Amino acid sequence: MKTLFKFISFASLIMMLACGDRDPQPVENNTLFLRNKGADMPIWVKGNRPSNKIILYVHGGPGDCAMCYRYYLKGLEAEAMVAYWDQRVAGASSGKVAEGTLRYAQFSEDMGYVLKLLKKQYPGAEIHLLAHSFGVELSWQYLTAGNNQQEVAGVIVVNGMFSFANWLAAVREWALREAKRKGNTEAETYLLAHPVTPHNAATIEWEPIYRWMYKLGGNPVSLYDNGKYLIDYAFNSPNTALAQFTHGRAYSYYGNVESRRFEKGPLLKDIRIPVGLFWGVKDGVVPVEVGEATKKFLTNASVGEVYFSESWHEPFITETDKFNRAVLDFVR
Amino acid sequence: MRYLFIFSILLRLTVTNTLAQSLRVGYYGETVTHYGLKIAAEWSLKNRVRERNQARKELLAGPALAVYRHPQNHIGLVFFPELAYRRTSRRGGIFELGLAPASSYYFLEGTTYTPDESGDLRRVRWAGQNAFLPTVFVRVGKDLSMQRQARLAWFSRLNVMQQRPYNTSALMRFSLETGVAFPLKKP
Repeated sequence: MKTLFKFISFASLIMMLACGDRDPQPVENNTLFLRNKGADMPIWVKGNRPSNKIILYVHGGPGDCAMCYRYYLKGLEAEAMVAYWDQRVAGASSGKVAEGTLRYAQFSEDMGYVLKLLKKQYPGAEIHLLAHSFGVELSWQYLTAGNNQQEVAGVIVVNGMFSFANWLAAVREWALREAKRKGNTEAETYLLAHPVTPHNAATIEWEPIYRWMYKLGGNPVSLYDNGKYLIDYAFNSPNTALAQFTHGRAYSYYGNVESRRFEKGPLLKDIRIPVGLFWGVKDGVVPVEVGEATKKFLTNASVGEVYFSESWHEPFITETDKFNRAVLDFVR
Repeated sequence: MRYLFIFSILLRLTVTNTLAQSLRVGYYGETVTHYGLKIAAEWSLKNRVRERNQARKELLAGPALAVYRHPQNHIGLVFFPELAYRRTSRRGGIFELGLAPASSYYFLEGTTYTPDESGDLRRVRWAGQNAFLPTVFVRVGKDLSMQRQARLAWFSRLNVMQQRPYNTSALMRFSLETGVAFPLKKP
């Protein structure tokens, strides 16, 4: 009995260690860190080095993590290198960071150095941004300043906003539509009583509107519902357990002040690099109407659109294969 | 020759007097894939054996050093000055509670660059950071010497730690230890 128990324990251990997915070959597997203004930000570069193409994943949040999504984005690594960058304070980033650095301008400066570092490590490589949610705000912040857009070959925008006022109005419209459809009179009454205009967007209480959107099914997808993902995250992620859940409060200035002033619409006409607008159509967090409005402002860029009809806020989770194929088509 | 003899006697006495009560060696890590090793020594500051059930109660102190690796993230060194209260039952069951105002230093496991004043990136060798790591722990195990099975004890221990500073504030961390303790002196 004792021997059998030992055998089962040993076999379980071997199976647990062997359950990680194998990396596609040929493989680049490089860990870099950018140290800037108190933050040590990791950048993991993985994938096909001979392709000489890098997809820089600009994660959302703020405060999400890049490697959390590698489980879904790994399909990209067969044909390109993917650079998974954890922004300051997010994911596995560490250091001693002043809360006052959690501003768009600082994130944008960090992004500039990340691109510089990637170009230093991979001379001649073509870099594309794959920006999701908050990562889209960050990308517009970076790309609409100076000549920054010359540093990248293109940007894929996934369910992210360019203007707080436009976004909040779209969220309210989405929630109101759903409230009517579902016959939720309490939500409908609240939303009708709180219209969002460009004039009140910076002062209106946005959180109740956002909460109604969630309650009405704005994004029912959770990473933690997928057991296989959780096992992969627990055993294959470089993140320290709980590290990404420690810093929520640090973004209060972003939530209460800075994001509310965010407006890049008039500057999007200056974007001249190719833009891919990838959107989960069912999303209430950043509704598809925001994508349509983004397109109207991108008057001087070549814009490709890909819609994911079965997806909410993270189409790479719900329609992984279609998403990865569309990204590779964009960067080819 | 006479000096050598005196020196040997002094050395022998010193070692005998300062020898730790036991040495612990064990696995130290957050998970199987975030792994490490820890070595510790401990001295008994005070002990008492209850006459009724022969359980031994001790106040222990000692240093410990752990090295661990979070692949693709960092390699850490932790120094724990530990203070613990331990109860060992007549049959050898160990229950221990303790605390350690630990300090750590970690090295980033990757090539690190930082911008200089002109905005160019320069490499930072041995990039890392130190941190205060106050720890409380609970340990269970069995002292096999109590029933004369072997001069050995096995144990498992859970550490709850807070890393300061970490980003804008602090990070709650956990680690597990499991290993063996070798008594160096008879209790």
